[in-house]
Amino acid sequence: MTTGPVAAPLALACVLAAVVYAAGAARLRRRGDAWPWRRDAVFAVGCAALVWGLAGPVPGGPFTAHAGRHLLVAMAGPALLATARPLTLVLRLLPPGGPRRGLLRVAHSPAARWLLFPPVAAAVDVGGLWLLYRTGLWAAAHRNPLPGGLLELHMLLAGLLFAMAVWRLDPVRGRCGLPLRAVTLLAAGAAHAVLAKSLYVAGPPGTAFTAADLRAGAQLMYYGGDAVEMFLALVLAVQWYAATGRRRARQAAREALPAGVH
Amino acid sequence: MAAVDEIVFHQLLHWHHFYDRSTSGVALLSDGLLHTAELLALVAGFFLYADLRRRDALAVGHAWSGAFLGAGAFQVFDGIVDHKVLRVHQVRYGVDVTPYDWAWNLAGLVLLAVGGLLLARARRAGRRRPS
Repeated sequence: MTTGPVAAPLALACVLAAVVYAAGAARLRRRGDAWPWRRDAVFAVGCAALVWGLAGPVPGGPFTAHAGRHLLVAMAGPALLATARPLTLVLRLLPPGGPRRGLLRVAHSPAARWLLFPPVAAAVDVGGLWLLYRTGLWAAAHRNPLPGGLLELHMLLAGLLFAMAVWRLDPVRGRCGLPLRAVTLLAAGAAHAVLAKSLYVAGPPGTAFTAADLRAGAQLMYYGGDAVEMFLALVLAVQWYAATGRRRARQAAREALPAGVH
Repeated sequence: MAAVDEIVFHQLLHWHHFYDRSTSGVALLSDGLLHTAELLALVAGFFLYADLRRRDALAVGHAWSGAFLGAGAFQVFDGIVDHKVLRVHQVRYGVDVTPYDWAWNLAGLVLLAVGGLLLARARRAGRRRPS
Protein backbone atom coordinates (compact mmCIF):
# COMPACT_ATOMS: atom_id res chain seq x y z
CA MET A 1 0.00 0.00 0.00
CA THR A 2 1.84 3.05 -1.20
CA THR A 3 0.39 6.43 -0.38
CA GLY A 4 -1.85 7.18 -3.35
CA PRO A 5 -4.03 10.14 -4.21
CA VAL A 6 -6.75 9.01 -1.83
CA ALA A 7 -4.41 8.77 1.15
CA ALA A 8 -4.01 12.49 1.89
CA PRO A 9 -7.74 13.34 1.87
CA LEU A 10 -8.44 10.19 3.83
CA ALA A 11 -5.87 11.15 6.47
CA LEU A 12 -7.44 14.58 6.66
CA ALA A 13 -10.85 12.97 7.13
CA CYS A 14 -9.42 10.95 10.01
CA VAL A 15 -8.18 14.09 11.76
CA LEU A 16 -11.58 15.66 11.23
CA ALA A 17 -13.31 12.54 12.59
CA ALA A 18 -11.18 12.68 15.75
CA VAL A 19 -12.14 16.33 16.31
CA VAL A 20 -15.83 15.66 15.67
CA TYR A 21 -15.79 12.67 18.02
CA ALA A 22 -14.15 14.65 20.83
CA ALA A 23 -16.59 17.54 20.38
CA GLY A 24 -19.55 15.16 20.28
CA ALA A 25 -18.45 13.32 23.41
CA ALA A 26 -17.96 16.65 25.19
CA ARG A 27 -21.49 17.67 24.26
CA LEU A 28 -22.87 14.39 25.60
CA ARG A 29 -21.08 14.93 28.89
CA ARG A 30 -22.34 18.50 29.20
CA ARG A 31 -25.83 17.14 28.65
CA GLY A 32 -25.31 14.72 31.51
CA ASP A 33 -24.75 11.46 29.58
CA ALA A 34 -22.13 9.09 30.90
CA TRP A 35 -19.54 8.66 28.14
CA PRO A 36 -16.25 7.22 29.40
CA TRP A 37 -13.11 9.21 28.63
CA ARG A 38 -11.30 6.09 27.54
CA ARG A 39 -13.51 5.96 24.46
CA ASP A 40 -12.31 9.43 23.46
CA ALA A 41 -8.77 8.26 24.05
CA VAL A 42 -9.02 5.05 21.97
CA PHE A 43 -10.76 6.89 19.16
CA ALA A 44 -8.01 9.51 19.06
CA VAL A 45 -5.31 6.81 19.14
CA GLY A 46 -7.12 4.94 16.36
CA CYS A 47 -7.25 8.06 14.21
CA ALA A 48 -3.57 8.71 14.89
CA ALA A 49 -2.78 5.14 13.78
CA LEU A 50 -4.75 5.68 10.57
CA VAL A 51 -3.05 9.00 9.82
CA TRP A 52 0.33 7.47 10.46
CA GLY A 53 -0.42 4.52 8.19
CA LEU A 54 -1.88 6.71 5.45
CA ALA A 55 0.53 9.60 5.37
CA GLY A 56 3.38 9.09 7.83
CA PRO A 57 6.82 7.61 7.33
CA VAL A 58 7.00 3.84 7.89
CA PRO A 59 10.46 2.25 8.17
CA GLY A 60 11.68 -0.80 6.24
CA GLY A 61 11.94 -1.91 2.64
CA PRO A 62 9.00 -1.38 0.27
CA PHE A 63 7.14 -4.57 1.21
CA THR A 64 7.83 -4.23 4.92
CA ALA A 65 6.61 -0.65 4.86
CA HIS A 66 3.51 -1.82 3.05
CA ALA A 67 2.88 -4.45 5.71
CA GLY A 68 3.33 -1.82 8.42
CA ARG A 69 0.88 0.53 6.72
CA HIS A 70 -1.55 -2.28 6.21
CA LEU A 71 -1.36 -3.17 9.90
CA LEU A 72 -2.12 0.43 10.86
CA VAL A 73 -4.80 1.25 8.29
CA ALA A 74 -6.64 -2.06 7.94
CA MET A 75 -6.30 -3.64 11.37
CA ALA A 76 -5.15 -1.66 14.40
CA GLY A 77 -6.75 1.67 13.45
CA PRO A 78 -10.22 0.35 12.58
CA ALA A 79 -10.27 -1.94 15.64
CA LEU A 80 -9.51 1.02 17.91
CA LEU A 81 -12.23 3.08 16.23
CA ALA A 82 -14.76 0.28 16.70
CA THR A 83 -14.07 0.05 20.47
CA ALA A 84 -15.06 3.70 20.76
CA ARG A 85 -18.62 2.92 19.49
CA PRO A 86 -18.81 5.70 16.92
CA LEU A 87 -22.30 4.76 15.70
CA THR A 88 -23.70 4.90 19.24
CA LEU A 89 -22.19 8.35 19.70
CA VAL A 90 -23.68 9.70 16.49
CA LEU A 91 -27.11 8.22 17.21
CA ARG A 92 -27.13 9.82 20.63
CA LEU A 93 -26.07 13.18 19.29
CA LEU A 94 -28.45 13.48 16.35
CA PRO A 95 -31.82 14.96 17.26
CA PRO A 96 -34.88 12.91 16.32
CA GLY A 97 -35.68 13.60 12.70
CA GLY A 98 -34.64 12.94 9.14
CA PRO A 99 -30.87 12.40 9.37
CA ARG A 100 -31.12 10.19 12.43
CA ARG A 101 -33.87 8.11 10.88
CA GLY A 102 -31.87 7.80 7.69
CA LEU A 103 -28.77 6.63 9.52
CA LEU A 104 -30.78 4.07 11.47
CA ARG A 105 -32.41 2.88 8.28
CA VAL A 106 -28.97 2.31 6.75
CA ALA A 107 -27.57 0.66 9.89
CA HIS A 108 -30.56 -1.65 10.17
CA SER A 109 -31.00 -2.33 6.45
CA PRO A 110 -30.90 -5.92 5.23
CA ALA A 111 -27.65 -5.16 3.39
CA ALA A 112 -25.95 -3.89 6.55
CA ARG A 113 -27.33 -6.83 8.45
CA TRP A 114 -25.78 -9.18 5.92
CA LEU A 115 -22.45 -7.38 5.82
CA LEU A 116 -22.32 -7.40 9.62
CA PHE A 117 -22.97 -11.14 9.79
CA PRO A 118 -19.53 -12.16 11.12
CA PRO A 119 -18.59 -14.76 8.47
CA VAL A 120 -19.54 -12.36 5.66
CA ALA A 121 -17.55 -9.53 7.22
CA ALA A 122 -14.58 -11.86 7.63
CA ALA A 123 -14.84 -12.95 4.00
CA VAL A 124 -14.93 -9.34 2.83
CA ASP A 125 -11.94 -8.43 4.99
CA VAL A 126 -9.59 -11.41 4.71
CA GLY A 127 -10.92 -12.50 1.32
CA GLY A 128 -9.99 -9.08 -0.08
CA LEU A 129 -6.54 -9.56 1.35
CA TRP A 130 -6.10 -12.91 -0.38
CA LEU A 131 -7.25 -11.40 -3.66
CA LEU A 132 -4.78 -8.56 -3.28
CA TYR A 133 -1.78 -10.76 -2.57
CA ARG A 134 -2.55 -13.86 -4.58
CA THR A 135 -3.92 -12.43 -7.83
CA GLY A 136 -2.68 -9.75 -10.19
CA LEU A 137 -4.59 -7.14 -8.18
CA TRP A 138 -1.50 -5.87 -6.42
CA ALA A 139 0.39 -5.25 -9.65
CA ALA A 140 -2.68 -3.62 -11.24
CA ALA A 141 -3.26 -1.39 -8.21
CA HIS A 142 0.31 -0.17 -8.35
CA ARG A 143 0.12 0.68 -12.04
CA ASN A 144 -3.00 2.81 -11.63
CA PRO A 145 -3.08 5.23 -8.74
CA LEU A 146 -6.86 5.51 -8.42
CA PRO A 147 -7.69 1.84 -7.80
CA GLY A 148 -4.70 1.75 -5.45
CA GLY A 149 -6.22 4.57 -3.46
CA LEU A 150 -9.63 2.92 -3.42
CA LEU A 151 -7.92 -0.16 -2.08
CA GLU A 152 -6.79 1.82 0.95
CA LEU A 153 -10.34 2.97 1.54
CA HIS A 154 -11.63 -0.58 1.14
CA MET A 155 -9.09 -1.91 3.64
CA LEU A 156 -10.02 0.69 6.22
CA LEU A 157 -13.74 0.06 5.83
CA ALA A 158 -13.38 -3.72 5.71
CA GLY A 159 -11.31 -3.64 8.91
CA LEU A 160 -13.95 -1.51 10.58
CA LEU A 161 -16.70 -3.82 9.34
CA PHE A 162 -14.93 -6.88 10.68
CA ALA A 163 -14.31 -5.40 14.13
CA MET A 164 -17.90 -4.16 14.37
CA ALA A 165 -19.29 -7.52 13.20
CA VAL A 166 -17.26 -9.52 15.71
CA TRP A 167 -17.78 -7.21 18.68
CA ARG A 168 -21.25 -5.80 17.99
CA LEU A 169 -20.65 -2.96 20.43
CA ASP A 170 -22.73 -0.58 18.35
CA PRO A 171 -26.49 -1.05 17.95
CA VAL A 172 -26.56 -3.25 14.84
CA ARG A 173 -29.25 -5.70 13.84
CA GLY A 174 -29.01 -9.42 14.10
CA ARG A 175 -28.06 -11.29 17.23
CA CYS A 176 -25.00 -13.48 17.00
CA GLY A 177 -23.89 -15.73 19.79
CA LEU A 178 -20.40 -15.76 21.17
CA PRO A 179 -19.49 -19.14 19.59
CA LEU A 180 -20.14 -17.91 16.05
CA ARG A 181 -18.17 -14.73 16.63
CA ALA A 182 -15.28 -16.59 18.24
CA VAL A 183 -15.13 -19.21 15.48
CA THR A 184 -15.19 -16.45 12.87
CA LEU A 185 -12.29 -14.75 14.60
CA LEU A 186 -10.45 -18.06 14.66
CA ALA A 187 -11.00 -18.67 10.95
CA ALA A 188 -10.04 -15.12 9.98
CA GLY A 189 -6.95 -15.21 12.18
CA ALA A 190 -5.90 -18.54 10.68
CA ALA A 191 -6.43 -17.28 7.11
CA HIS A 192 -4.34 -14.22 7.93
CA ALA A 193 -1.55 -16.30 9.49
CA VAL A 194 -1.47 -18.71 6.54
CA LEU A 195 -1.29 -15.84 4.05
CA ALA A 196 1.51 -14.18 6.02
CA LYS A 197 3.52 -17.39 6.11
CA SER A 198 3.01 -17.99 2.40
CA LEU A 199 4.19 -14.45 1.65
CA TYR A 200 7.37 -15.28 3.53
CA VAL A 201 8.39 -17.54 0.66
CA ALA A 202 6.55 -16.03 -2.32
CA GLY A 203 5.55 -12.41 -2.86
CA PRO A 204 2.44 -11.25 -4.69
CA PRO A 205 2.42 -12.18 -8.40
CA GLY A 206 3.90 -9.58 -10.70
CA THR A 207 6.15 -8.05 -8.05
CA ALA A 208 9.84 -8.39 -7.34
CA PHE A 209 10.69 -7.65 -3.75
CA THR A 210 14.00 -8.74 -2.28
CA ALA A 211 13.84 -11.90 -0.18
CA ALA A 212 14.92 -10.04 2.98
CA ASP A 213 12.23 -7.40 2.50
CA LEU A 214 9.58 -10.04 1.86
CA ARG A 215 10.56 -11.97 4.96
CA ALA A 216 10.62 -8.94 7.24
CA GLY A 217 7.24 -7.83 5.88
CA ALA A 218 5.67 -11.29 6.23
CA GLN A 219 6.90 -11.56 9.81
CA LEU A 220 5.54 -8.14 10.65
CA MET A 221 2.22 -9.20 9.13
CA TYR A 222 2.20 -12.47 11.07
CA TYR A 223 3.04 -11.11 14.50
CA GLY A 224 1.21 -7.83 14.04
CA GLY A 225 -1.85 -9.86 13.04
CA ASP A 226 -1.48 -11.87 16.25
CA ALA A 227 -1.44 -8.70 18.30
CA VAL A 228 -4.61 -7.30 16.72
CA GLU A 229 -6.30 -10.68 16.97
CA MET A 230 -5.44 -10.86 20.68
CA PHE A 231 -6.98 -7.43 21.07
CA LEU A 232 -10.17 -8.56 19.29
CA ALA A 233 -10.30 -11.68 21.48
CA LEU A 234 -9.71 -9.65 24.65
CA VAL A 235 -12.66 -7.38 23.97
CA LEU A 236 -14.86 -10.42 23.23
CA ALA A 237 -13.73 -12.04 26.48
CA VAL A 238 -14.42 -8.87 28.49
CA GLN A 239 -17.92 -8.79 26.98
CA TRP A 240 -18.50 -12.39 28.02
CA TYR A 241 -17.13 -11.74 31.52
CA ALA A 242 -19.36 -8.71 32.05
CA ALA A 243 -22.44 -10.44 30.61
CA THR A 244 -22.09 -13.55 32.80
CA GLY A 245 -21.51 -11.31 35.82
CA ARG A 246 -24.72 -9.40 35.13
CA ARG A 247 -26.67 -12.58 34.53
CA ARG A 248 -25.48 -14.07 37.77
CA ALA A 249 -26.26 -10.90 39.71
CA ARG A 250 -29.81 -10.94 38.31
CA GLN A 251 -30.21 -14.55 39.25
CA ALA A 252 -28.96 -13.90 42.77
CA ALA A 253 -31.34 -10.99 43.12
CA ARG A 254 -34.25 -13.16 41.98
CA GLU A 255 -33.36 -15.91 44.40
CA ALA A 256 -33.02 -13.41 47.24
CA LEU A 257 -36.66 -12.38 46.84
CA PRO A 258 -39.06 -14.16 49.17
CA ALA A 259 -41.32 -16.69 47.48
CA GLY A 260 -44.43 -15.24 45.90
CA VAL A 261 -42.97 -11.77 45.34
CA HIS A 262 -42.15 -11.14 41.69
CA MET B 1 -13.98 -27.09 35.18
CA ALA B 2 -10.98 -25.58 36.83
CA ALA B 3 -8.90 -28.41 35.50
CA VAL B 4 -10.14 -28.01 31.97
CA ASP B 5 -9.12 -24.42 31.57
CA GLU B 6 -5.77 -25.01 33.16
CA ILE B 7 -5.16 -27.79 30.68
CA VAL B 8 -6.03 -25.47 27.84
CA PHE B 9 -3.79 -22.83 29.34
CA HIS B 10 -0.80 -25.01 29.65
CA GLN B 11 -0.87 -26.78 26.39
CA LEU B 12 -0.46 -23.49 24.70
CA LEU B 13 3.04 -23.11 25.92
CA HIS B 14 4.01 -26.22 24.05
CA TRP B 15 2.27 -25.79 20.79
CA HIS B 16 4.86 -23.93 18.79
CA HIS B 17 6.18 -25.13 15.48
CA PHE B 18 3.79 -27.96 15.16
CA TYR B 19 4.55 -28.64 11.55
CA ASP B 20 7.83 -28.94 9.78
CA ARG B 21 7.09 -30.64 6.51
CA SER B 22 6.77 -27.19 5.07
CA THR B 23 5.56 -26.20 1.60
CA SER B 24 2.46 -28.39 1.93
CA GLY B 25 -0.68 -26.28 1.95
CA VAL B 26 -2.44 -28.47 4.49
CA ALA B 27 0.47 -28.18 6.90
CA LEU B 28 0.43 -24.43 6.57
CA LEU B 29 -3.30 -24.38 7.26
CA SER B 30 -3.01 -26.63 10.30
CA ASP B 31 -0.25 -24.44 11.65
CA GLY B 32 -2.27 -21.26 11.14
CA LEU B 33 -5.33 -22.79 12.78
CA LEU B 34 -3.37 -24.11 15.73
CA HIS B 35 -1.49 -20.89 16.18
CA THR B 36 -4.69 -18.85 16.18
CA ALA B 37 -6.56 -21.33 18.37
CA GLU B 38 -3.76 -21.19 20.88
CA LEU B 39 -3.93 -17.40 21.09
CA LEU B 40 -7.70 -17.48 21.52
CA ALA B 41 -7.49 -20.30 24.06
CA LEU B 42 -4.98 -18.28 26.05
CA VAL B 43 -7.43 -15.40 26.32
CA ALA B 44 -10.42 -17.68 26.97
CA GLY B 45 -8.49 -19.64 29.60
CA PHE B 46 -7.51 -16.49 31.43
CA PHE B 47 -11.09 -15.23 31.54
CA LEU B 48 -12.54 -18.61 32.56
CA TYR B 49 -10.01 -18.64 35.36
CA ALA B 50 -10.97 -15.10 36.39
CA ASP B 51 -14.64 -16.15 36.35
CA LEU B 52 -13.94 -19.08 38.64
CA ARG B 53 -12.06 -16.81 41.01
CA ARG B 54 -14.94 -14.36 40.97
CA ARG B 55 -17.41 -17.09 41.87
CA ASP B 56 -15.07 -18.43 44.51
CA ALA B 57 -15.41 -21.74 42.75
CA LEU B 58 -11.78 -22.40 41.97
CA ALA B 59 -10.61 -25.73 43.30
CA VAL B 60 -6.95 -24.88 43.74
CA GLY B 61 -5.75 -28.44 44.21
CA HIS B 62 -7.65 -29.68 41.18
CA ALA B 63 -6.43 -26.76 39.10
CA TRP B 64 -2.79 -27.52 39.81
CA SER B 65 -3.23 -31.19 39.09
CA GLY B 66 -5.01 -30.26 35.86
CA ALA B 67 -2.12 -28.07 34.84
CA PHE B 68 0.39 -30.88 35.29
CA LEU B 69 -1.83 -33.52 33.75
CA GLY B 70 -2.51 -31.29 30.74
CA ALA B 71 1.11 -30.42 30.14
CA GLY B 72 2.23 -34.04 30.64
CA ALA B 73 -0.50 -35.53 28.47
CA PHE B 74 0.27 -33.09 25.72
CA GLN B 75 3.98 -33.78 25.88
CA VAL B 76 3.57 -37.54 25.77
CA PHE B 77 0.97 -37.29 23.00
CA ASP B 78 3.31 -35.06 21.04
CA GLY B 79 6.23 -37.35 21.70
CA ILE B 80 4.52 -40.61 20.78
CA VAL B 81 1.92 -39.70 18.18
CA ASP B 82 3.43 -36.69 16.44
CA HIS B 83 7.11 -37.53 16.59
CA LYS B 84 6.97 -41.29 16.16
CA VAL B 85 3.67 -42.43 14.69
CA LEU B 86 2.89 -39.59 12.31
CA ARG B 87 6.46 -38.28 12.10
CA VAL B 88 5.11 -34.77 11.75
CA HIS B 89 8.20 -33.22 13.24
CA GLN B 90 11.24 -34.13 15.32
CA VAL B 91 12.91 -32.65 18.38
CA ARG B 92 16.15 -32.03 16.53
CA TYR B 93 17.41 -32.61 13.06
CA GLY B 94 20.66 -33.98 11.73
CA VAL B 95 21.52 -35.94 14.86
CA ASP B 96 20.44 -39.20 16.43
CA VAL B 97 17.09 -38.26 17.97
CA THR B 98 16.81 -41.23 20.36
CA PRO B 99 18.14 -39.46 23.49
CA TYR B 100 16.01 -36.41 22.76
CA ASP B 101 12.91 -38.53 22.31
CA TRP B 102 13.56 -40.33 25.57
CA ALA B 103 14.13 -37.07 27.42
CA TRP B 104 10.97 -35.55 25.94
CA ASN B 105 8.72 -38.49 26.70
CA LEU B 106 10.16 -39.18 30.16
CA ALA B 107 9.75 -35.53 31.11
CA GLY B 108 6.14 -35.80 29.93
CA LEU B 109 5.63 -38.90 32.08
CA VAL B 110 7.08 -37.12 35.12
CA LEU B 111 4.66 -34.25 34.57
CA LEU B 112 1.80 -36.75 34.30
CA ALA B 113 2.87 -38.49 37.52
CA VAL B 114 3.06 -35.19 39.43
CA GLY B 115 -0.38 -34.30 38.11
CA GLY B 116 -1.79 -37.68 39.17
CA LEU B 117 -0.38 -37.33 42.69
CA LEU B 118 -1.78 -33.82 43.02
CA LEU B 119 -5.18 -35.02 41.81
CA ALA B 120 -5.25 -37.82 44.39
CA ARG B 121 -4.31 -35.36 47.12
CA ALA B 122 -6.97 -32.87 46.01
CA ARG B 123 -9.60 -35.61 46.01
CA ARG B 124 -8.61 -36.76 49.52
CA ALA B 125 -8.76 -33.16 50.76
CA GLY B 126 -12.17 -32.75 49.11
CA ARG B 127 -13.55 -35.83 50.85
CA ARG B 128 -12.30 -34.67 54.25
CA ARG B 129 -13.86 -31.28 53.85
CA PRO B 130 -17.00 -31.62 51.71
CA SER B 131 -18.11 -28.22 50.57
